[in-house]
Amino acid sequence: MMTRLGWRSTRLPDVKLLMWVFLASDCMMFGALIGTYLAYHNRSLVPPFPVDVFDIPLTTVSSFVLLVSSFLMVLALHALRIDDIPKFRLWTFGVALFGSIFLGFQVYEFVHFVNAGLSIHHNLFGTTFFVLTGTHGIHVAVGVLWLLGFLIQSYVRPTSSKDAVYLEIAGLYWHFVDIVWIVIFTVVYLVEFV
Amino acid sequence: MAKGNNGAVGTYILIVLILGVITYVEFAIVEYPQAWLGQTWTMVLLAALSVVKFLLVVLFFMHLKGDDRMYSGFFSSGMVIALATFIAMTAMFILPRAMNYGEARERAAALEGHAGEHGEVHVPEDVAALIETDGASRPLAERADAPPPLDRSVTIEPPLAAGDEPAYEVTGAADQAAAPAEPADAPAEDEDAAAAQRPETEAPGLQAEPEAAEAEESAGQDAAAAAQPVEWDRDMGAQVYNANCVGCHQGAGQGIPGAFPPLAGHAAEVHAEGGREYLVQVLLFGLQGPIQVEGMNYNGLMPAWAHLSDDQIANVLNHVIVEFGDEPAGFVPYTAADVAGHRGDGLSSAAVLEVRDQLGLN
Repeated sequence: MMTRLGWRSTRLPDVKLLMWVFLASDCMMFGALIGTYLAYHNRSLVPPFPVDVFDIPLTTVSSFVLLVSSFLMVLALHALRIDDIPKFRLWTFGVALFGSIFLGFQVYEFVHFVNAGLSIHHNLFGTTFFVLTGTHGIHVAVGVLWLLGFLIQSYVRPTSSKDAVYLEIAGLYWHFVDIVWIVIFTVVYLVEFV
Repeated sequence: MAKGNNGAVGTYILIVLILGVITYVEFAIVEYPQAWLGQTWTMVLLAALSVVKFLLVVLFFMHLKGDDRMYSGFFSSGMVIALATFIAMTAMFILPRAMNYGEARERAAALEGHAGEHGEVHVPEDVAALIETDGASRPLAERADAPPPLDRSVTIEPPLAAGDEPAYEVTGAADQAAAPAEPADAPAEDEDAAAAQRPETEAPGLQAEPEAAEAEESAGQDAAAAAQPVEWDRDMGAQVYNANCVGCHQGAGQGIPGAFPPLAGHAAEVHAEGGREYLVQVLLFGLQGPIQVEGMNYNGLMPAWAHLSDDQIANVLNHVIVEFGDEPAGFVPYTAADVAGHRGDGLSSAAVLEVRDQLGLN
């Protein structure tokens, strides 16, 4: 295990360290995007404005979906660590499924917004909102593909607890996408109606 | 990292239940607002709940709790930089606007007081250059490009009574046919009369100065009031222009071809062609969409400036019409009341474009 993971002077698996560094940089990107959204908040000249299009019950449900997927993610990692491959496959599939459901909600929301007259170039709200949530949606999509790839790979060649660190970094990425949504849900959606 | 099999799963279940409950509470707070909580505390509560969720996921699902400190070190530094960026952006966009009203005004007042004592205000060179470009800092009479003395070739008598035909007398070479019959009442007193005056400025060489009414003795008190030229605050006009407009429309109102339309000449032309009220609407509600100015196409966005006061908007309008060229003949300066009367129009910036189209300016 030592040689395979290539432990260095940090005594840490470098793939995992690398993932944390990537997540730190991703924090900065989302910080800038959320900051941009807020900087231009209430500066749109023409409707629709956020209160006209946001649907809090719908977004709450999609937030639940993403939370559950995060939960399934830790279960999948736990199953792989104890070499319970059937459960690892089940939970990993569950994460990808719930991630896809979340994306479905987002596609539904985007279509609804565009039908309401809000496009990415319509007003400042449209521009900043679609760039922010779209970037997040792409992150979710990448995570879904990553986990599906992991799942398919487990059928192609034997997967065991030795591969847990690779699932762990996919999991770190997935949870990060979840916490970004936790912030977006509050800052972009909920605060609008306070 | 390694945990007892059932212990770890138990923790995960507990955490996801807490996360679910918090999400529901957040939803409930927004969907069923609690009046007793107040807006500020509702915000604080929502932010706190969000932070708790964030920490639960990071500590337990991402296992930062109990994992190597190097991971949390990297992640925290990323978070700190992200937060700093976030705070800097918020400060950049929100503080200057707040300062406009409070501190900036106080500073300007303090500066004026200072000028009174010592007779001179230190103006940084770049600011001086800006002000010098449009010449607004100098009294009108001292300016090299000051408009020539008014040609009072037309005498207009104010109306005597509601039913009377307004009488006017042309003593100069002006084209009579172009001069519509209209009252020359003091605009500050009568808004409608002021609005009705706008078409006559089209006539070349026709001067319809209200004070021309002085020539006629018959109007009594009203005529005396009408004789007073409407004064407007030139300093405020220049100040508002340099603080808000100069970035796009440039120091002498020349604009940037293709990007920001010129005001010099154009604003006065729009005013002369019946756009007196339209100009107020542009300032209050913005303007969005394709327009053509002096043969050049523009498809941009003029923001709304409704956050400026009625006085500021009136004076900046007077500034762009009067200071960027010859003062249009018969121009009646805008007053705060002219602006206040349009605040309730409730137009969108696209609707203002329609007003422009109706004026036939495109």
